[in-house]
Amino acid sequence: MSTMAVDIPREQPPSYLTDGVTLRSWLLTTDHKRIALLYLGSVTIFFFVGGTAAALIRYNLIVPEGMIASADTYNRLFTMHGIVMVWFFLVPVVPVTLGNFVIPLMIGARDLAFPKLNLLSWYLFIAAGIVLIYALFAGGLDTGWTFYTPFSTNFSNGHLIAAVTAVFISGFSSIATGLNFIVTIHRLRAPGMTWYRMPVFLWSLYATSVLYVLATPVLAMTLLLLGFERIFGLGVFDPALGGDPLLFQHLFWFYSHPAVYIMILPGMGVISEIIPTFSNKPIFGYKFIVWCSIAIAVISFLVWGHHMFVAGTSLYSALVFSILSYMVAVPSAIKVFNWIGTMHKGYIRFDAPMLYALGFIGLFTIGGLTGLFVAALAADVHLSQTYFVVAHFHYVMVGGMVSAFFAGIHYWWPKITGRLYPEMWGRAGALTIFIGFNLTFFPQFIVGYLGMPRRYHSYPPDFQVLNVLSTAGATILAVGYLLPLAYLTWSLLYGKRAPDNPWGATGLEWTTASPPITENFVTTPEVTEPPYNYAQPEAARSG
Amino acid sequence: MTDRLRELSLTLLLLLVLLALEFGMAFLPLARSLRPLILVPAALMVCLVGAVFMEIRQGPAIVRLFAIAGLLWLAILLGLGSLDPLTRVDLNVGAIATANQTMPSAIRNR
Amino acid sequence: MSDTMATHEFQYSSAEHQAETAISGMWLFLATEVLFFGALFLSWIYSRHWNQAGFDAGAQQTWLAIGTINTVILLTSSFVYSVGLAFIRAGNSRRLVQCCAVAWLLGVAFLILKFGVEWPDDIGKGLFPGHGFSIEGPLRGGAQLFFVFYFFGTALHGLHMLGGLGVVGWIIRRARRGDFSPAFHTPVSVVGLYWSFVDMVWIVLYPLIYLIGRGP
Repeated sequence: MSTMAVDIPREQPPSYLTDGVTLRSWLLTTDHKRIALLYLGSVTIFFFVGGTAAALIRYNLIVPEGMIASADTYNRLFTMHGIVMVWFFLVPVVPVTLGNFVIPLMIGARDLAFPKLNLLSWYLFIAAGIVLIYALFAGGLDTGWTFYTPFSTNFSNGHLIAAVTAVFISGFSSIATGLNFIVTIHRLRAPGMTWYRMPVFLWSLYATSVLYVLATPVLAMTLLLLGFERIFGLGVFDPALGGDPLLFQHLFWFYSHPAVYIMILPGMGVISEIIPTFSNKPIFGYKFIVWCSIAIAVISFLVWGHHMFVAGTSLYSALVFSILSYMVAVPSAIKVFNWIGTMHKGYIRFDAPMLYALGFIGLFTIGGLTGLFVAALAADVHLSQTYFVVAHFHYVMVGGMVSAFFAGIHYWWPKITGRLYPEMWGRAGALTIFIGFNLTFFPQFIVGYLGMPRRYHSYPPDFQVLNVLSTAGATILAVGYLLPLAYLTWSLLYGKRAPDNPWGATGLEWTTASPPITENFVTTPEVTEPPYNYAQPEAARSG
Repeated sequence: MTDRLRELSLTLLLLLVLLALEFGMAFLPLARSLRPLILVPAALMVCLVGAVFMEIRQGPAIVRLFAIAGLLWLAILLGLGSLDPLTRVDLNVGAIATANQTMPSAIRNR
Repeated sequence: MSDTMATHEFQYSSAEHQAETAISGMWLFLATEVLFFGALFLSWIYSRHWNQAGFDAGAQQTWLAIGTINTVILLTSSFVYSVGLAFIRAGNSRRLVQCCAVAWLLGVAFLILKFGVEWPDDIGKGLFPGHGFSIEGPLRGGAQLFFVFYFFGTALHGLHMLGGLGVVGWIIRRARRGDFSPAFHTPVSVVGLYWSFVDMVWIVLYPLIYLIGRGP
């Protein structure tokens, strides 16, 4: 079951990569696969913009008084880091790159339901990005990515309007993508592909898309109100004028809490594809895991108040949100057991995607469990606004989600590009990221618990050792992120050509060529078997 | 065709009746906190437009799911979102004195 | 006026499949709009909750007659468009064009009354929030917040109406070219859904603005 290199016969129709070579054929494409690549390039750029901000933040925190002289600059750095990483990387990344590419292949369709809408969503994303880059070069802003009022509306000295305009536009890109995915999954499944024959990745993206379409509009209105309050002094969020600053927080977190599940659900979906493939076993508890995705999506809308426990909301509502927050952890935990159950008695291979997936399980579990700490009202009084929270969400977002993204990129790389990446470098990258990540963020749990506040450019000298460790870890992590950039790019030119199904995986996407032809399938496939049908691996492997 | 025209005309008539009803309700001496009940006829009007003009019953099943989801999530937003102000202990710090305050002009950048 | 065989894009199995998918897509989009306006409604709830007397005092300054007339106009417009859709289903493209034109004109009438008559009147009475706001005293905060909601809500609704006029106009153009038939009129249905939805938003805004705060 090792990977094979195969010569592609010359008589085959052109792949989607060579079907049209002009710039126009790329920039005006409606092919979901090309749009996925357009997105991949864009989010990679944003990842490095946000990563540069992160590097500067960690650089600043090497010494207690802050390496970067001005606190204001530091504030702008963490604000930009947050905005870029949330809205221009994590929220879109897996759906627009892997989702766009894989969904039609996985359901046996020729494209998404609305291909032109798909292209429009990319252009909206780019427009948003341009506005954001303008805001960045004009000097950024210092409110944090959360834009809390009345500081942002009345006192902040920064480019709030530009920043919220960028985010506002990006929201429409999200809504378009989510709408496209939901309608596609409902309406374009191949004959025989019932809901329970769909791979888990599709259920996860469906759940994510529900979040996209229902939560993002609330963000859109919130940012409109915020912007107009800033410009005209409306008063909706200003207590001096009869408004309620907590209204902003309620509206903001109504979107932003589901947003964190927008970020993680696709990653869970990727892991749910990779674990069965590299354990050569069907996923354990298929119905549990798919309904848990839906449950996470639904319950995620009921917990937003846990970001506001110390903000002045009523104790009664805080209690309700705390209980609901405990409930939302349950389906996530069930999924972890499903993945472990899948591996149990499986034939496990430690290729790079699997290493990333294993890292995901461990890091996501730590991140998820620490979320329960802060979901407890009494503990949150102490932990809120400290590095404990920062470590918690970076464990789930970076340790979890970014690992899952890398897992997915490596897993589907042969399908997307028709090339194999160098396996040893892939494993080295996965290990480097795992080590670097833990060294960066574990110390942050400790300093947070000890009371070091977040969003401060300086800190008491007692915390220096742990901060230096964290920065050292960040350096290793940066190397870990640069490695795949290097060897994946290398593989585009020099990598071995990939067969249709290098991993011996089940799933319709592996029955078509690597890379696929523009129409994905020569004839519409018909599905007669359950997903993850690893009892007959010969049927799934390419010839 | 004529059936449909009849259905549409009756619906318009009913909508206008409901409009008159809510218009009339506005002039009843309802307590301030009960006045939102005026939204009940409005909600019925929304249902009529959806059921008859937008033909939600004749569409594919999925559109009913989408409509219900939209309304359910609206209920979550408005319901769970109102929970806090309705149960908050309001330490109102002198609305009269602050009502005429002008906004600080500390804003330099946009 | 052709009655051509309806075709479909390469990812659909039939014309009906594609038509139903387009309608599903529009309904899903409308669900997102419900949440969009929903956030504004939450701000109405908060603003009124914290400033009930002032908020309602502001509401009493609204021009009830013009708001009510506008509601009748929009209900009729939605009705007329639906009649047009029924006509094209029966094969009468000419009546479709006429109905859409009437619906379109009613929409324009709404916008003229709202933005050409009512808004200037409100602004002239000093009801635009900000420095020149004319209601003074303890009710000022709440009244001003009411007018924030009023101007914001009607502006956003108006923008959606403008978009609606655009797409209804597009339907009129295509219908005059003979693009639609009983076999193919999906765009007419889809635009009709949007147009009726914009009507729905107004049906909710109307009592929030003109009725709830008003009273003996």
